[in-house]
Amino acid sequence: MNIIYATLGLIGLYIYVSFASLLWEGLDRKLVARMQRRIGPPLLQPFYDFLKLVSKESIIPRHAGRMFELAPVFTLAVSIALLAYTPIGFAPLFSTKGDVIVFIYLLTLIAFIRVLGAINSGSPYAQIGAQREIIILVSREVPMMLGLFAILWRLSKLGVSRPFSLATFYEHNIWEIGTPLTFMGAILLLFVFLAWLASEIEVGYFNIPEAEEEIAEGPMAEYSGRHLALFKLSNALKEFISASLVVAIFFPWGISGLVGLTGAGAMIADLIFHTIKVFMVLFASMSIFRAVTGRLRITQAVQVFWLRMLPAAIIGVLLIAIDVLEVIA
Amino acid sequence: MNSRIEYWVKIPIGPIHPALEEPEKFIITLDGERIINVDVKLGYNLRGLEWIAMRRNYIQLMYLAERICGICSFSHNHTYTRAVEEMAGIEVPERAEYIRVIVGELERIHSHLLNLGVIGHAIGYDTVLHMSWLARERVMDILEAIGGNRVNYAMNTIGGVRRDIEEKQKRAILDMIEYYRKEIMPKIEEIFLYDPTVEARLRDAGVIPKRIAIEYSAQGPTARGSGVKKDVRYNEKLGVYPDLGIKPISPKEFTGVIKGDVFDRMVVRVGELWQSMELIERAFDQMPEGKIKAFAKDNLILLKLKKADGEGIGRYEAPRGEVIHYVRANPGKDIPSKWKAREPTFPNLFAVARALVGEQVADIPVAIASIDPCLSCTDRVAVIDVRTGKREILTEKDLLKASIEKTREINPNASAEPGVVGIGCPRGGLL
Repeated sequence: MNIIYATLGLIGLYIYVSFASLLWEGLDRKLVARMQRRIGPPLLQPFYDFLKLVSKESIIPRHAGRMFELAPVFTLAVSIALLAYTPIGFAPLFSTKGDVIVFIYLLTLIAFIRVLGAINSGSPYAQIGAQREIIILVSREVPMMLGLFAILWRLSKLGVSRPFSLATFYEHNIWEIGTPLTFMGAILLLFVFLAWLASEIEVGYFNIPEAEEEIAEGPMAEYSGRHLALFKLSNALKEFISASLVVAIFFPWGISGLVGLTGAGAMIADLIFHTIKVFMVLFASMSIFRAVTGRLRITQAVQVFWLRMLPAAIIGVLLIAIDVLEVIA
Repeated sequence: MNSRIEYWVKIPIGPIHPALEEPEKFIITLDGERIINVDVKLGYNLRGLEWIAMRRNYIQLMYLAERICGICSFSHNHTYTRAVEEMAGIEVPERAEYIRVIVGELERIHSHLLNLGVIGHAIGYDTVLHMSWLARERVMDILEAIGGNRVNYAMNTIGGVRRDIEEKQKRAILDMIEYYRKEIMPKIEEIFLYDPTVEARLRDAGVIPKRIAIEYSAQGPTARGSGVKKDVRYNEKLGVYPDLGIKPISPKEFTGVIKGDVFDRMVVRVGELWQSMELIERAFDQMPEGKIKAFAKDNLILLKLKKADGEGIGRYEAPRGEVIHYVRANPGKDIPSKWKAREPTFPNLFAVARALVGEQVADIPVAIASIDPCLSCTDRVAVIDVRTGKREILTEKDLLKASIEKTREINPNASAEPGVVGIGCPRGGLL
């Protein structure tokens, strides 16, 4: 019985997050337009775009392989599967011991399938975009995983029911430890995670794989119609999910306890409050970031991660772990 | 099996590509992200202007010259009238020269603001694009107030200018300069001299060394950014420019170094914005009263030009570099026997194609945008055999051979040994 409820919950969640993430796309475009002294498109423009793309013919290049058509379907399928392991104001629906591994695996798989689809499209622009995507994927995951595992390990020392599960964040959070060193470490890791988020959703400095002016949308160069619509939707879902991770780690507080709700009502209130927090994180890491920066070269972006973010993550992790390690009294 | 396998890809940039504003084609050979070779193909925007010009008289040609390109419409018009004035020996009233300076510098301001925005767009910094184009609206409004049009203001005529600048318009221009000095220029300097993103992307991108700039005869901000002191207004003592204290801008005045990269070209443009505003103010201070054109009516011009004989060359520093117009008279007719224009984009394009070799893919849009290419100006020459309809592309080799033959024909005693300057055109191959 339990699995049926969870599955129904996942379908409901998928529908809700699809709307929320497409609404955020519209909000983001409007906000950035305002920062650039433009009027911007209507708030619901991403919905119109999606509906129009779905109704249009999809052109398959002559040299495209089988993966070209399958990649959009797989990406959306993986995004929906990922929703089951995403912390969304409460513990993930299919939360288990060690589900953080599944979360990172599925998140990386989305980028990987995109690359497979791009390579199979036979377009030289998509090839370059795919190369760039893989290079930046390899660079950005290292500091993020280091920070994520260190935080989970530190929280498991406080005593949690299921260590290395994303549900941990709703039992204890990083700010609870309270020593000045962990506070500083957490602030440092917050910056690392915001940079990772910006690169995961490819904005600002890290809009490199899809650089429009250089390689004409890179991996998306040959996609059109229905296939492109599926990619747009899964990209929007990915934005929401990636930001959800940052929110869960650093701002996990719910609202249901304060207003005294329980049961299904509490879950809905927490979900809506979580959505607002996700929008705020995305506003900092996406809208503002892409309004005040340009795109870096791929070599510079890799340097940002290996020479700036990785040392920052190491220092942050050491600061968080230092009182458990008992090197200082 | 220990030899390295080289996986080279050829990708086309253009004729239609998000990085380009106008149709042109670069075939780029890539090794991963590194550029191995750049091949330039031109001619996608050919409109047969010189052929059209064969059935236009001197006055009508002015309007045709103005419509070569939307951005430097004044420059082409101005250069063409200069060529005709030199050919027929027409004296231009001094006040007209000052008005030409004012409109020309206003055009330079609008062209440079446009290019600064395009560079912002090329590095994905769209806020720069929207803000600098918003700032550009002010100068476009001024140009509309003076000439009646945002783009083709038709200020020039042979032997002067068509409209005077009145007191009201003068005040509007000075207000605009005040606004740019106070509101816009600090922001532009903040972005193009100090912004870390812009510096990271533009520094050491598309470097044109001084030697290459001289060998490929780069023009305008492209040459000045590489440290070549080249500005027609200064070198040729053009019109009243020497009285206004013109001197070529060098990036050294702003950053202390000359590297010849995209950053330096942008610094030159920022410097020229300051310089243009100063020139306009000085021009207003020194402008004498008097006539604004040598001929009261247009038919008098045609009458005079019918009797003219000889040839004239007009030179002017357009926002992108030196424009040259050549006009040869056809005695007894009001149609010139030959009219030809040479634009700065043509030499600049090959210089920047050379500079791109060894750089990354990410530098292509920004390097191409940094010379502010104007392809509608450049594409005018194609050789087509009418009988067979076959299209022939003349390389440097063929052109050099043809010109040597012609020289021998004119002067059989020519003693100099002709040869290629520098390493030659990349398309033509080495001689």
